Amino acid sequence: MTAMEDKLLEVRNLKRYFKVSHNDVLKAVDDVSFDIYKGETLGLVGESGCGKSTTGRTIIRLYDATDGKVLFNGEDVHGKKSKKELKKFNRKMQMIFQDPYASLNPRMTVKDIIAEGIDIHDLAKSNKERNEKVYRLLETVGLNKEHANRYPHEFSGGQRQRIGIARALAVDPEFIIADEPISALDVSIQAQVVNLLQELQEKRGLTYLFIAHDLSMVKHISDRVGVMYLGHMVELAKSDELYDHALHPYTQALLSAIPVADPEIERSRERIILKGDVPSPINPPSGCRFRTRCPHAMDICAQVAPKWQEAREGHWVACHLYDDEYKSGLNK
Amino acid sequence: MENILEIKDLKISFDTFSGEVQAVRGVNLTLKKGETLAIVGESGSGKSVTSKAVMKLIPQPPGKYKSGEILFEGKDLIKYSERDMHKIRGSEISMIFQDPMTALNPTMTIGAQIAEGLRKHQKMNKQEANERVVKLLDLVGIPNPEARLKQYPHQFSGGMRQRVVIAIALACNPKILIADEPTTALDVTIQAQILELMKDLQDKMSTSIILITHDLGVVANMAQRVAVMYGGRIVETGSVDEIFYKPKHPYTWGLLSSMPKLHNNSEKLLAIPGTPPDLSNPPKGCPFAPRCPYAMKACVDMMPDYTNLSDTHQTACWLLDDRAPKVEPPETIGVGGTKS
Repeated sequence: MTAMEDKLLEVRNLKRYFKVSHNDVLKAVDDVSFDIYKGETLGLVGESGCGKSTTGRTIIRLYDATDGKVLFNGEDVHGKKSKKELKKFNRKMQMIFQDPYASLNPRMTVKDIIAEGIDIHDLAKSNKERNEKVYRLLETVGLNKEHANRYPHEFSGGQRQRIGIARALAVDPEFIIADEPISALDVSIQAQVVNLLQELQEKRGLTYLFIAHDLSMVKHISDRVGVMYLGHMVELAKSDELYDHALHPYTQALLSAIPVADPEIERSRERIILKGDVPSPINPPSGCRFRTRCPHAMDICAQVAPKWQEAREGHWVACHLYDDEYKSGLNK
Repeated sequence: MENILEIKDLKISFDTFSGEVQAVRGVNLTLKKGETLAIVGESGSGKSVTSKAVMKLIPQPPGKYKSGEILFEGKDLIKYSERDMHKIRGSEISMIFQDPMTALNPTMTIGAQIAEGLRKHQKMNKQEANERVVKLLDLVGIPNPEARLKQYPHQFSGGMRQRVVIAIALACNPKILIADEPTTALDVTIQAQILELMKDLQDKMSTSIILITHDLGVVANMAQRVAVMYGGRIVETGSVDEIFYKPKHPYTWGLLSSMPKLHNNSEKLLAIPGTPPDLSNPPKGCPFAPRCPYAMKACVDMMPDYTNLSDTHQTACWLLDDRAPKVEPPETIGVGGTKS
């Protein structure tokens, strides 16, 4: 990752809070910063409730940010915008959703679902052009034009996800947020969809934010991976680096928890098994949010939140174990 | 080791508006004492129906046991009346369900739910049952059991609820535990806890486990034997090593290849093209033939028989016939992540 590469998206101190009752605020995303470079895939992983989906949805402005900035090609996505300005962003950023059963309108034909974006952005001059665009998109995602006049219920989960992808591609976006696009699919179908996403990326130079909880799939598709825990980003690195040299104790535990499809490895493997559950994000632990489950927790972890620092080249982590000040303090 | 459960030529169908759906089409399985047998397959392959059939939890109608035997310690459960099954369920054979959010009764304290089986099957009085519940909660790793047993399911997290479900299943020391996707609804770190707990309890109680899952990682971690199901039939069965290192069925190859490997970087995943067969109109021949890259004419026309590759390893595939061309498995199955 060189500095020469262009940043497509800059997320700066992004916060998204939800008011859950009179006094309680749920901090779903709390001060998260990262960049996404042109043409790369950034993976975002974490357990349920860690804020990974909220981050994705806030970036595309399905939620308004409580605080912080999202810069797309240098322009702020949030803040006051005219309809016209919003439209411009919506064309460049698209989203693929998790549940292919709930994300397609059951009363619209596949053609109208895919062409909705084309209509809104006036991308087709005539009905014929509109149809041709839809047919081409269907072929791109591995369906055919006979499918255009059918309704979503006539398709299997994998096919529906392909329709969702075609809809996202209809407006020629630069950036696609895929929020758990394969979690609802069977293993053999998952591979089909992932291969399709990768092919499209090569052909069209797309940039992806790939959100998932399946770490092995995220590693497969991503150039870099960010790990989230309770609304914080705890580690971010190139995917090989992250999997070979995980620094944060949470990432280490997460990696060690994934069962590998190899009986011999499974028999000999030592697991780091975390105790307890993820604490409530309404009242998160002080200092480092992971400290209640961390096998290496120290006194300082309860007092001070760890800094977001570059521990190795291009490898960012928020953990007191890698604090220079703290380490030197220990040695004295 | 002796067989505690034998399923012979089980066929189950469901009547639907669009005709008869043959969910299970001739399944043969054995479960030995103290072992873990994993059944893997995609949704609609019949793995859950098979396991529910053992508990006789298939609603009739629309379900129908068309043929076959389910021998539990030599007695055919299919012939059992509903009343006789009451004595079996929860005491001899019990089940852990996928979704701990819906498997528990929200209006009963978890203590009462765990004690239910103890009071009914073992005729314990309230106090005895309570003492045993405290022990069980402690066993499944729920801290502070005396206070927790008076709480309701909504006061527990997902992982804790699954522990409660396990405690209910184990309350009467069942001989067989059927776990239907026990960790699918849980996060990975919690999944690791629950799998560890199940193995630990199996060591202590020597229960036989039937584990239903689609996650081959979980299979490698838990099982001694594996049955691969496709289109309502078992296409391959063998010891865990045989299935992962010497698989013979193209569907098993496809399953192993479509998993991303954590320890090596392959450029592309090998996807199985197409979709599973429609079981309301099942194919005449091998159910996998339409998606199989090696399919021959015989595959479409005739159902393949099981070939014995070893005492434990059986595969139903025409490629193993003497007359078939020799096909080597694709390199992409390059198991799990051994080679880095």
